[in-house]
This record gives sequence, structure tokens and C-alpha cells, in this order.
Amino acid sequence: MIAQLQIDPTQLIEPWTARWFPQTLGSMLVGITCGVLGCFVVLRRMALIGDALSHAILPGVVVALLSLGWFGVQLDGLPPWFLAMWLLVGALGAGLLTAVLISLVQRKSRAKEDSAIGIAFTAMFAVGLILISSLPRGTHFDLECFIYGDPLAVQTPDLILMGVVCPAVLLTVALMYHRFKLISFDPVVAAAMGVSVAFAHYLLMGMLASTIVAGIKSTGVILVVAMVITPAAAAYQLTNRLWVMLVLAGTIGALSAGLGMSLAFMVNTPTGPAMVLVAALLFTLAVLFSPNHGWVFDRLRRLRLARHVAAEDVLKALYRLGPQPETGYVEPIGTETGLPPRKLVKTVARLCAEAVLTIEQGRLMLTQVGKRHARELVRAHRLWETYLVNEAGFTAEEVHATAEDLEHAHELSDALFEALGRPDQDPHGSEIPRREPG
Amino acid sequence: MAMDELVARIIGVTKVYQKHKAAPPVHALAGVDLDLPRGQYLSIMGPSGSGKSTLMNIIGCLDRPTEGAYLLGGDDVAKMDDTELSRVRGRHLGFVFQAFNLIPQLTVQENVAVPLFYQGIPAGERNRRAAAVLERVELADRMSHRPAQLSGGQMQRVAIARALVNEPSILLADEPTGNLDTKTGDTILALFDELHAQGLTIVMVTHDPGMADRCERVVRLRDGLIDVDEVGGKRPVTSSSAV
Repeated sequence: MIAQLQIDPTQLIEPWTARWFPQTLGSMLVGITCGVLGCFVVLRRMALIGDALSHAILPGVVVALLSLGWFGVQLDGLPPWFLAMWLLVGALGAGLLTAVLISLVQRKSRAKEDSAIGIAFTAMFAVGLILISSLPRGTHFDLECFIYGDPLAVQTPDLILMGVVCPAVLLTVALMYHRFKLISFDPVVAAAMGVSVAFAHYLLMGMLASTIVAGIKSTGVILVVAMVITPAAAAYQLTNRLWVMLVLAGTIGALSAGLGMSLAFMVNTPTGPAMVLVAALLFTLAVLFSPNHGWVFDRLRRLRLARHVAAEDVLKALYRLGPQPETGYVEPIGTETGLPPRKLVKTVARLCAEAVLTIEQGRLMLTQVGKRHARELVRAHRLWETYLVNEAGFTAEEVHATAEDLEHAHELSDALFEALGRPDQDPHGSEIPRREPG
Repeated sequence: MAMDELVARIIGVTKVYQKHKAAPPVHALAGVDLDLPRGQYLSIMGPSGSGKSTLMNIIGCLDRPTEGAYLLGGDDVAKMDDTELSRVRGRHLGFVFQAFNLIPQLTVQENVAVPLFYQGIPAGERNRRAAAVLERVELADRMSHRPAQLSGGQMQRVAIARALVNEPSILLADEPTGNLDTKTGDTILALFDELHAQGLTIVMVTHDPGMADRCERVVRLRDGLIDVDEVGGKRPVTSSSAV
């Protein structure tokens, strides 16, 4: 019940106290690694495989735990590093088995790759769930923490796993950076250059499985894939350069994990959902505010351009019509520019403030600066008309509307003037103003 | 030059694709023998489905034959694993693709130097060798341009330079003029002629029937077998004519 959600802001800093700091740090390390690996998963369009892997390793981990019982090994007497590595072996084995199952289903049935992945990983997950119920009572195995993630359950073996796997994966990525880059963007060329595509693929899969095992206790099986995909997808919104994307994805991954821990403590929920929610939020911000592809900046750019065009249209109208009465300019200039009255009044106010227009003795007119700018526009308009008729083969009658758009690119006027052989007149016989000195 | 000096020998190579046990096997190659003398200019032709892409992939070490042997530089490549095949591709083969496949973010010189990077050759030597090979394809003045600033013909010449930079035993070209207009395509083919005259071994897959006149030898495939193996318009360079 949402009404029963307890929010306790004092718990915000709890994950950063000595009691929980190792768990928080471990989760952030996993966040960085997931983000970095995620870049290749996102670029190679393997998100579904990532999801499959995370579910499929559950039975591997459970069998690893069960097998200790078969050998009569007591969990409590075991060195933590051994348990960590044993779980890793189980997870990698399950990942490998899933890969084999997927290709088996694909070859022996009519199922295509996506269906084969869907069948294989759900079956593996189901086996894992059934095996869990057969674990002996004494085993520290909390199903819920495996599914949703729980920092309380992150113990020394898990921290060791995080501390070994994450640096190893990051180092491998650094060493293999150029190979992974070429394979991600052009596998055909990569193969031709002597890069083993198959080897890189399996290496990537193995690293992904290892990282998922390391992160499974803090994020949970279901949501760990989000830590792989979401930070990388957010980073992809922000840059086109791979190394920048890797750095950003790692940072976003770490932020998601760290802030997610705080959020989880504050509202007393499992950590996995909290981390994934933060990651999704960061992704949304990236979509909205990316400087190149972002929705907000895109809108701002368009707005600015529309304003610019409106201002220049007003300047040109005043240049053509001459000074207008302060109280009666809306109608003639509105007709000339096609601007709605409210927008026109706003534009005029802005231009007055910029000292491009001025009001003297009740008359709205261009200032010296305004006049020069308007002449520039007329010059650009007539030069573009000349270009469209002389070079692009239009008739003099059809070019006005196009030139009306192109005149706003008046920074090209000088080049155009020279390229057209310094014309004096436009196709309609009007004089093309010369550039004013200074 | 002795004609019996072979760069590559393909002996009884088959390639069978089988979706699953009950499905009928598809013999993409049904037993091909092909000797490739050093310095030969060979074009592979045939309708789609004739096995020419499969043969190209096997010659290019991108795929392994189901049966048979493929001797390249004295080694039986057919027995190699993926890692070894990758090494062979990087050291002994040069590839030219229909769509050029240049890396847009890199300059012309950097694009050409890429294959050397994967062989661990130091940066100074990479750049020097890339510059030298760009000289050969007459693009020395475009070294710091990006691919987007070049014409299609220039991009393909950059791709050819990249294929040559590791001094390959065989240059493999898959429809290299497929994305170019006829006139530009001719300049690329002229470049291949020139490289061939310098002694390079070239294998080209093409649809262009005019190629038969340019090559020393044309192999036509049909249903996974060599249908016709004929001497093209240009006579092979024999020891008597070379002297």
C-alpha cells in the first residue's frame, strides 16, 4: 500500500556510515562495471541476451551452494574467498549452459533467436526457483534477496567477488578497448583486420555473467540487467564518442547504485528497485537535457531560431515601409510579416531593448544599427534570388518565398556575392545593396 | 617467374549447411579444386546461390570448409581454430568491401593504419607505412581528411590502401565497384590493374561481365562447382613473356 510507505529522511546517510559503507562501495563498483560493459551490450544490441544471462545464472548459483552440501562441506567453516569463487564458477557454468541451450533450440526447432533466448532463460530460471526450495534449511539463502536485492544479505564472500571481478573486468576492457570498439561498430572490418569476433563475443559474455553474479545480491536477478542497459543507454544519449560513453556510463552506474542505496534506506525498500529507479530517472534526464539529442535543448534551439527569424522579418518590414506610428504599427507590419499581433508586440519590445528599433516622437523606426542589419537582410535576399535564378535554374517569379527563408543565412552573403560575380541587380531588377564599410 | 609458385591451393573443398538433422543439406560448395599462382588476377563469377560468396569467405579465412584442405603459405588453414584464422587474416590477407567500410571518426591515414594496430606495430611505423601506401593509391594529399570529405572513388582507394598496408599475400575484393558509378568504377579497376602489374595477387568477386576482359583468369561457379575456368582477356605473365 502506497499509503503505508514510510519515508525517513534521516536514513538518507545511513548507507554512507561505517556500518554499511563496504556494501555501498561494493554496489557502486558493480554499478561502474555494469555501466561500462553495458556500453558494448547496448551498442551491439544484446540487451535481451543480458536479461537472459542474469536469469539463467540463478540455477548455477543454487547448484554451487547445493554441491557444497553434497560434498559434506560446512558453509560456516569455509573461507569466504572460496565460497565467492565457487559461486562464480557455478554462475559461469550456468551462463555457458544457457548459451548452448539457446543455440540448440535454434538449430533443432523452428524457433528464431529471440524465441530461443526466451525459452532457454525462463527454463533455467524455473529450474533455479525449484532448486532453491530444496536447499537445506540452515543455508543462508534468501530467495527474496536474490530476486530483489538486499544489502543486508551482502556478506564478505559477495564483497570479495565484487572486489575481484570488477577491477578484472575494467582492466580487460581497457586492454581490449580498441578491439571491442571496432567489433561494436563494424564487425565485418574487425574480422578482416584479424580480430577474432567470436573470441571477443564470448569474452564479453563471460565478463557480463561474472559482473551479474557480483551484483546480484545488491540489485537482484530481475533488475540487474537494468544496471547494465540503462546507464549505458543514458550515456549514449549524451555523446558519440565511445570512451566518453564508457566514462559517463560508469559514472551514471555508480550514481544509480549510491543514490539507490540512500533511497532504499530512506523509504525502507529493497535496494534493487531503488537503484533501477534512480538509473531510469537519470536516463530520463539524459533524454530531456542531452545537448545534442535532448528534447529540451532541441526545443530551445527551435524557439531561438523562430525568434531570430521573427526579429529579422520585422526589421525588413520597417526598412521597406519606413517609420510607423507607435500606436498603429501592428496592422501594417503584421500584414507584411505574417506575425500574430501578440508575437509582433513582443518582438518589437525586444528589438527596442536591444537598441535596434527606437521610438522617437511617437514613431517606431530603425536605429542606425537596425538600418544596417536590415540592409544586410535585403542584400542577402536579393543575392539568394539571383543565385536561385542564375545558378539553380528557377524563374524570377518562383524564388521569393525560398529567398525569404534563405536570407536569414546572411553570413554567407559575401561568399555568394563573389561567387555570383558581384552582381548589381537581382532578377527583378532591384538594386542589390553593397556591403557597408566597417 | 615460375608458374608453379602457388600462393594458395584449394583441394576438394566442400561447404555444407544443414539447419537440422531432418533438413536436406545444402551444398554451398560441392568439391572445389583451385590453385592460385602468385601474382595472378582472378575473378570469381556466377549467379547468386552459386557458392561464390562461400568460396570467397573460405579464401578469406572468414569461414572454414566442411571437408577438404586449404593451403595458404604452407599451412592448412582448414584445420585452424578461430584465433589462428584471425591471425592469418590480419597478417596475410587484405580485404576490400563493396561499401568501403571506413571508420568515419578516423582520418584517412588513421583508417589505413588500423590493421597494423592489431599486430602491435608502434605508432611511428604505423603512420609511416600508412603514408607510404596512400602514396601508392595517389591519396597522399588527403591523409588528414575524414571519409565523409571524400568522393566514393577516393573512399574505395582508401579502403584499398588499408587492405595493402599489411603487405598481404592475397588482396580479396568483394564487388569493389558495386557502389560506384561506371566511370569511377573504371578508375578503381585501373588501380587494380596497376597493382596487379606490380605483382600483387588479386581475387575479386564480381557481377560485371566486362571483368572477364581485364583479368588473367575467370572462374565461373554453378551449383557449388567450378563450371568454367578460363583464361581471361589478359594473358598470364609467363616466364617467357616476362623476360
